[in-house]
Amino acid sequence: MMRISVGDVSMTNVLARQGAELRAQVQRASNEVATGRHTDIAHVLRGDVAPLLAIDASLSRLAALKTTTADAAFQASAQQSALAGLSGLAEGITMTLLGARDFPTPAQVNSVTADARARLSSAIGLVNTQASGRAVFAGNATDTVPLGTADDLLTMLETAALGATTAGQVAAAVVNWFADPLGYGTFYQGGAGLSPVPIAPGEDADLPTTALDPAIRATLAGFAMAALVDRGVFAGNDDERSRLAQRAGQELLTSGDTRITLAARIGVVEAQIEAAHTRNSAESTVLGILRSDIGSVDPYEAATRLETARTQLESLYLVTARVSRLSLTEYLR
Amino acid sequence: MSITSALGSALTGLSATSRQAEILSSNVANATTPGYARRDVALSAAVLGGTGQGVAVNGITRDVDRQLLGERRRAEAGEGDRDIRSDFLARLEQALGTPDSAGSLAARVAAFDQALVAAAGRPESEARLATVASTVRDLTSGLATATDDVQDARVEADRQISEQVGKLNSTLAELEELNVALLNFTGAGRDISALLDKRQQLVDTISTIVPIREISRDLNQVALYTTGGVPLLEGRASVFGFASTRLITPEMTQALGGLSGLTINGRSYHTSGSASPILGGTLGANFAVRDELAVSAQAKLDAVARDLVDRFSGLDPTTAPGAPGLFTDQGSAFLATNETGLAGRVQINSAADPQQGGALFRLRDGLGSLTAGPPGNGSLLSALHRALNQAQPLSSTGFVSGNRSLATLTGELLSDASTQRLAAQTEQSFAASRLTALKDMEAQNGIDTDQEMQQLLTIEKNYAANARVIQTVNDMIDTVLRIGA
Repeated sequence: MMRISVGDVSMTNVLARQGAELRAQVQRASNEVATGRHTDIAHVLRGDVAPLLAIDASLSRLAALKTTTADAAFQASAQQSALAGLSGLAEGITMTLLGARDFPTPAQVNSVTADARARLSSAIGLVNTQASGRAVFAGNATDTVPLGTADDLLTMLETAALGATTAGQVAAAVVNWFADPLGYGTFYQGGAGLSPVPIAPGEDADLPTTALDPAIRATLAGFAMAALVDRGVFAGNDDERSRLAQRAGQELLTSGDTRITLAARIGVVEAQIEAAHTRNSAESTVLGILRSDIGSVDPYEAATRLETARTQLESLYLVTARVSRLSLTEYLR
Repeated sequence: MSITSALGSALTGLSATSRQAEILSSNVANATTPGYARRDVALSAAVLGGTGQGVAVNGITRDVDRQLLGERRRAEAGEGDRDIRSDFLARLEQALGTPDSAGSLAARVAAFDQALVAAAGRPESEARLATVASTVRDLTSGLATATDDVQDARVEADRQISEQVGKLNSTLAELEELNVALLNFTGAGRDISALLDKRQQLVDTISTIVPIREISRDLNQVALYTTGGVPLLEGRASVFGFASTRLITPEMTQALGGLSGLTINGRSYHTSGSASPILGGTLGANFAVRDELAVSAQAKLDAVARDLVDRFSGLDPTTAPGAPGLFTDQGSAFLATNETGLAGRVQINSAADPQQGGALFRLRDGLGSLTAGPPGNGSLLSALHRALNQAQPLSSTGFVSGNRSLATLTGELLSDASTQRLAAQTEQSFAASRLTALKDMEAQNGIDTDQEMQQLLTIEKNYAANARVIQTVNDMIDTVLRIGA
């Protein structure tokens, strides 16, 4: 039998289905407007989420590198300021020591060598600098200060120089002791140089300088020679005392070059850290923009979609209300 | 006597219209009942002794489009199949995480990477070493949770199979009884529409589980076969057999033992592949989830876990060769033969985990070191970071071969899950829209109350007309009687 009819349930089904679909659209769009994120990011990327994950991983690594570059920069600048302090101490006394043989009175030698001994203490204090709880010249033994006291140092030097009869012999004994792994090497309490610190993806900053560096050894040796005079080496022998003081001045003078070389070396690393830091921030900005390009919803587009869905849903409500009144039963009264 | 025969005809008309009203009221009452097919009263002219004698009710016809019904059933089975598959894949995607979820596996790998960089920058910091340890634990627990989710999905599928097998058996038994009842009723000439409705509903139940072909036999009997060709109901109902498993571990599969297969009347059948007669419905989909989709998902997770373990073994100079590295297989070294289920077992080496009596300094100084070394020594931490990001070949199958870093591998794992989920959802929405279209067509053939009301008007008019005929015949007879008086 050919029938001309449409079942009641058919209309109900169609309206219910369209209503559910539109409500889902409204929900999705309103969620996207509110959060700025795609409801289904995988759908937007057609399933290939790997690039987005790679961006996220890079961003999180750059966040860690931000702290490590700051740490490394702090370490380098603490080393630089300690070196600058050492240079200041050395330069303030070098010329006076060099003129020690021309002093009119032996008392002047006394005062300048006493000054040198005080400066030795200050120099050791500078080498023992700690930056945020980390001894900067102690290598990887960051928890120990690298050097002992000036008095201990001088006592060990006196022992090393025992039997020396001329200023030249004492100076040579001091220089040898500083070069000797069993001399200064045992006085040094720190560890091997710090291992390289990651500062950028695939790039490390190397800051291995310890108190064993020749520049620091030579500077300390210079102060120590003059300080030995103050400790009473060649007591009564004014000629040898002033000779040794002058020799100390020469040692400090030549150590200036090695300090400058060391400062320059650390400066290069500082520049590298700074460059890496700048590069990292630029990279994380770019990645952040890329991340929001790929992973975020265009708010205008989402709002437009919401508005469209809303209008459609309202129309559907109107249609539902009208259609459900269309029934023959209503008119058969 | 033609006047009395006119009276008789009018009476048949009255009874036919009241029968029509009865059926119509039933139609209107069941306007929204699912599975109710519209009934119609079949009328014909009654013939008595070669002449027309009013109207005869031939019976009640059910208005069913068999072709549409069969097609809708197959669409429903297909939709159920796609639904279960895409549900599982969506669940898997959730378990692994998406770029927008904070606890995704990729985010955990990135956090581990971040912690290693920070710790290498300042190895003496206890806080940074503790972060490394906690990110390692997060990573292993992420893998373990994903494994649990995958295995839970298998348990759930297994439970559903068992439930569906039970439903199939009880429904088939009911259908067998219905067939008998229909045979008796048909023989007795009674109205069988309600029984036919009931049977249609029962067959619908079966057809969502297994796609079927319904074959009509004489005397309102049906036989049911799966589209794969196995008889479900041919006089007698077939009996399905399945034993459910409460706890499923990654090592258990149907092929390697531990999980039940499917039997029909005692004979076992394939549950996958072209030889399987039960594919295409929810039953086949649940078998596919349990034995294929979840197993391959687990293999991929295990490949990632193995890559993780491999990267960090043999790095540490303080441990003996062959000793476990930072990641262990439940505390001991990983053996290549134990790859299945590794993702659920991988753990942080207890020597470096303060929660298991270890010490954090071993992350920096080596897992075998007895005492803490120089606190500023970051070389091992840097080596760990390099190992994490080194592109190296995979030891396991499951992914396309090639050199990858762990982050890349995890990214591929997540992308793969998302791609599969999207593909399955696309298929699912195709299947769903096909089913919707067919259901709409079926609904259009359903009860239209407007049409019923129109018919009601006709019935009312007919009834009045027949009554009028009786009244007129009565008047005529009265007239004849008055002549004699």
